Amino acid sequence: MRILVVEDDEVAAEYVRKGLMEAGHVVDRASDGELGLEMAKVADYDALILDRMLPKRDGLSLLGALREDGDSTPVLILSALGEVDQKVEGLRAGGDDYLAKPYSFTELLARVEAIGRRSDPTAAVTKLKAGDMEMDLLARTVKRGDQKIFLQPREFRLLECLMRHAGRVVTRTMLLEKVWDYHFDPQTNVIDVHVSRLRAKIDKNFETPMLHTVRGAGYRLQA
Amino acid sequence: MFAPIKRLFKNTVFRLSMIAAGLFVLSSLTVLGYIYYATVRAETVEVDKFLEQELDEIEKIYLEKGVEYTTQILLNRMRPGHLYIFSHKGQYISNIESKPIFKGGEPVEGKPFAFTYKVVASSEPLVTEEIRARGRTRFIGDEGGFIFTAREVEIIMDTSERVRRALFVSMLMAMTLGLLSGVYVSSRFARRIGAFNKLATDIRSGKLDKRASRTETGDELDVLAEHLNDMLDHIDKMMMAMRYAGDSIAHDLRSPLTRLRTRLENAGSDVKDEAAREALFQASDDAGELLKTFDAVLRIARLETGERREMLVGLDPTPILEDLAELYEPSCEDAGLEFSLKIEGKHKIYGDRGLLSQAVSNLVENAIKYTPKGSAITVRLRKLRNGRSEISVTDTGPGIPPEQRNRVKERFVRLEESRTAPGSGLGLSLVDAVADLHRAQFELTAGSSGDDRDNPGLRAAINFPRFKRR
Repeated sequence: MRILVVEDDEVAAEYVRKGLMEAGHVVDRASDGELGLEMAKVADYDALILDRMLPKRDGLSLLGALREDGDSTPVLILSALGEVDQKVEGLRAGGDDYLAKPYSFTELLARVEAIGRRSDPTAAVTKLKAGDMEMDLLARTVKRGDQKIFLQPREFRLLECLMRHAGRVVTRTMLLEKVWDYHFDPQTNVIDVHVSRLRAKIDKNFETPMLHTVRGAGYRLQA
Repeated sequence: MFAPIKRLFKNTVFRLSMIAAGLFVLSSLTVLGYIYYATVRAETVEVDKFLEQELDEIEKIYLEKGVEYTTQILLNRMRPGHLYIFSHKGQYISNIESKPIFKGGEPVEGKPFAFTYKVVASSEPLVTEEIRARGRTRFIGDEGGFIFTAREVEIIMDTSERVRRALFVSMLMAMTLGLLSGVYVSSRFARRIGAFNKLATDIRSGKLDKRASRTETGDELDVLAEHLNDMLDHIDKMMMAMRYAGDSIAHDLRSPLTRLRTRLENAGSDVKDEAAREALFQASDDAGELLKTFDAVLRIARLETGERREMLVGLDPTPILEDLAELYEPSCEDAGLEFSLKIEGKHKIYGDRGLLSQAVSNLVENAIKYTPKGSAITVRLRKLRNGRSEISVTDTGPGIPPEQRNRVKERFVRLEESRTAPGSGLGLSLVDAVADLHRAQFELTAGSSGDDRDNPGLRAAINFPRFKRR
């Protein structure tokens, strides 16, 4: 993906840039809001990583100008203001996701890849497919091979989230946000318990496991 | 009904005012006693003196002029209220119907004494009246003769009775007034002392913004209140400074820590050596834990400012608890804990789903962490008798000793027994801050299995103010 990072902190920007490049993305960087808006308008990016507090023009104002222009480039907002209401504000201004500082790079990577233009996890599809697994969103049924898999509603949503991001890392925090709509980090391994139950249902009777644990990051569904 | 009286007697001021009232009664008793003596008794003494003088006079007449003359004189002097008996050689003259003066049939010479006699007030129908009098006897001559003279003292006795009654009534009044003023003064004082005690309790339970109220009379209690408030302001300022220092440290360390973590993570994914890789990831996780702690501190600090209070909306906590139950039930099952959710009645409170979820989640996670296998965890939503809604998380684990229950709500406080378990000691502080934001009470008590000494259990309850449309 081609990603624009708008961040005034030199060190933070460099780490994000380096990390994203190592993950195989092309990265540009703007150090203030005006420059960021300019670059976003001129070039066609797959995703924007936008700091909220920027010199010259703040992140939300940049985002507003961009959206007014009819530009729908996916935007991940970064902010030191980690409160939920700030997040709501950011999303209302047209952001696609919101990540509070401090964040771990894996979290940032997972999220930016999740919103990136090339994948559209919210696309209005009725069927999801990953490897030999098929999910019918209307009938609420899951099949692996020709075997039907029966899931609880929450397990269904968990698998749906993983399938929409198939092949990419989904962090525990992302799961908690997207499947349960919680915006805090539990102290216990509560997500792992749910994932292992799901795993027991979708992987147990099959040769190749699909649901993988990614060390220090989260989970990935891969055929 | 004796409890309030007992409490009253425990009150220092009440006891002091009772002593004061007692002394007051005693001194007025002395004064009144003197008044009684100076009026009523003096009259009686006056009568007695007169009786003696008259006896002297009659004796003189008897000695000088003889029996006949004396008889004449006495007959002249006799009239209602002026009583005489003259006895000479077994012969009497008298104007008293009854003769109460004879003790055992014989007259006794000596001091003046009081007696009553009867007079006929009306003859048809016959009504007699008892009349009080004082009299004195003196023997004269050698043949057992005597003179007795007496004066009716009805008026004096009436006055004396009235004065005595007045004394008794005024004594009662003094005592009642003393008691009442004692109760009044002491309850007034007790109220003010009570306010101080409530302040101390409030401060101890973390309401540091509470201050002692003043009456503007400038009395010593006002001075005490002023000193106390100065002291509390000072403590508050120090705590604020400390907290601010802590918060700004947390804030300032976030950026370098984030970088540290990113660096470690990047390094970890670059390194080929498995052991070094593991160590770097571990270090990155540790940095992550630190960040989480700082985040929690800052979150609590922001909650404590109360600015999110305006964002609370009227909601039913039921689905919030159902979602949480759904989230934690599998964890409990895996940990060998029996989980149950009890929803009783319909509820509506002002709340924030996210914050409430986090608070209850902290309580449930605590219960999971500190409760041994085989215990039970119950999340319950119920209506209290006063109409407030209460969310509680009860476990049957080892619980928290009563003296520690308030302390564990403070930041970074962890009990000795739990030091080995992971956690930052901020979980309950956050619950406390969330409860405070909701103007709810957060309480820790023993669980329902309070009779089991080893595992009294813990009951963490948040009770919310009644819903009022804004």
